[in-house]
Amino acid sequence: MKKYLQIFKLSFQQEFAYRLNFVMWRVRNILQIILLFFLWSSVFKDPQTEVFGYNQEKILTYVFGILILRAIVFSARAVDVAGEISNGDITNFLLKPVNYFKYWATRDIASKILNLGFSVFEITILFLILKPNLFLQTNLLTLFAVLISLTMAVILFFCLLFITNMSAFWMPENGWAAQFLFIAIITDFLSGGVFPLDILPLAFQKVLYSTPFPYLLFFPLQVYLGKIAGLEIIRGLATAFTWVFILFMTVKFIWAKGLRRYSAEGR
Amino acid sequence: MKNLKKYFKIWLLMSKNSFLAVFNQRMALSIFLIGKILRFFFFFVFIIFLLKGTKSLAGYNLNQTLLFFFTFNLVDTISQFLFREVYRFRPLIVSGGFDLVLSKPVNALFRSLMGGADVIDLITIIPLTIATFYIASLLNPSILHTTFYILLVLNGLVIASAFHIFVLGLGIVTLEIDHTIMIYRDLFNLGRFPIDIYKEPLRGIITFLIPIGVMVSFPAKAIMGLMTPMGILWSIVFGILTLFLSLKFWNFALKKYTSASS
Repeated sequence: MKKYLQIFKLSFQQEFAYRLNFVMWRVRNILQIILLFFLWSSVFKDPQTEVFGYNQEKILTYVFGILILRAIVFSARAVDVAGEISNGDITNFLLKPVNYFKYWATRDIASKILNLGFSVFEITILFLILKPNLFLQTNLLTLFAVLISLTMAVILFFCLLFITNMSAFWMPENGWAAQFLFIAIITDFLSGGVFPLDILPLAFQKVLYSTPFPYLLFFPLQVYLGKIAGLEIIRGLATAFTWVFILFMTVKFIWAKGLRRYSAEGR
Repeated sequence: MKNLKKYFKIWLLMSKNSFLAVFNQRMALSIFLIGKILRFFFFFVFIIFLLKGTKSLAGYNLNQTLLFFFTFNLVDTISQFLFREVYRFRPLIVSGGFDLVLSKPVNALFRSLMGGADVIDLITIIPLTIATFYIASLLNPSILHTTFYILLVLNGLVIASAFHIFVLGLGIVTLEIDHTIMIYRDLFNLGRFPIDIYKEPLRGIITFLIPIGVMVSFPAKAIMGLMTPMGILWSIVFGILTLFLSLKFWNFALKKYTSASS
């Protein structure tokens, strides 16, 4: 436990070492939110408008919620795993008495805390400038359900990211390309990071709900907004948990296969 | 004319080399191509279903909103195709490899700006152009309005060139390229939808200061007959002025090049 605490501290400091990188990453997040905010403000110009089951207050809460949830779920350092595999740096970790998954999970937590802090600051600034009407969830039970779904979202994303990165065992040159396709495009869109998934036809939504993607951002936000309640929350959480189990086993399976294939190239 | 021919030949040669390098990594090429097409498809589907529910966006119907989106993609894809080399400029400056570019009998700006056309974007340009003109034809534009559209798309590309030249110049002065170009890309993404959705002062900023509106929204507005001839003329003058200023900045930056680490 002590060594992971040290890793956490070092990782936190490392984020500050590349300040410009970090600031630019935050600026890019804000620009994305500005696009979504104005897009939806334009649709919901009249506060009485109700489309796709959202009113102005709820859709703007969705947009602001995305900024926070992205910081919690999508901020991760494990994006570097593919690089470590392809240039052989992973060998160092295989020789050390450190659990590779715990190492990256610790670094991810440091990154999430830092990003969350900044996103709260940004939201406060954006809130003061844009003055949107936001929906505040007060039901403690619902908030507890949001917390559980968020925890599962974090684990789900960690597994998805690791699976994508481990593709570098088989195609060391293209780990970053796989990340572009599966994380930056597919996961971002299908998790509801660009638009709420309930604007899509019902049949398509049903198919999406059987995949792990909506449980990353869309589902926790729906629970927060009170659009999903009671049994539906439990059903959603159960599906998310099933995916956590499936992806966790997949990670273990691919890791074992990948290590057998690994030839320490570049070392 | 002779000079133009020479540079076209050089461009063809550099593009061929760049294409060969990409074709060498077929897997990466396929993954990126699929990614780009998927992103386009997801946004396309989003606009279709959004407008099905809302009927209009900032006063524009589905076909009009789609034209804004397709025009954005057209200008974006063509400029990505032409100016991909800008993304590879930093290592040249940091390592001092830019000395070799300067010592060759080819214009250094031309080499740095257009030295590595992107084959992935080339593959998507033709279907995208056909689809854009199909969407535009659904709005029954007149020949004059279509001419204005083409003129303003070309003007958008002139401004995109100016932006990329400015980024190159900034790269020489500050050694920073990657973030500047990504910020430019993110700002440019604001043009995915009609700029009318933004409120002041943001709308003013992305029209006049960072002229995304002039680059992508004005052409679409022109084909809809929403631009006055004076507005079109002003946009073109603005485009030429931007290019002129960026060239001035490039010349200024070039004098600041220290050939460090070479």
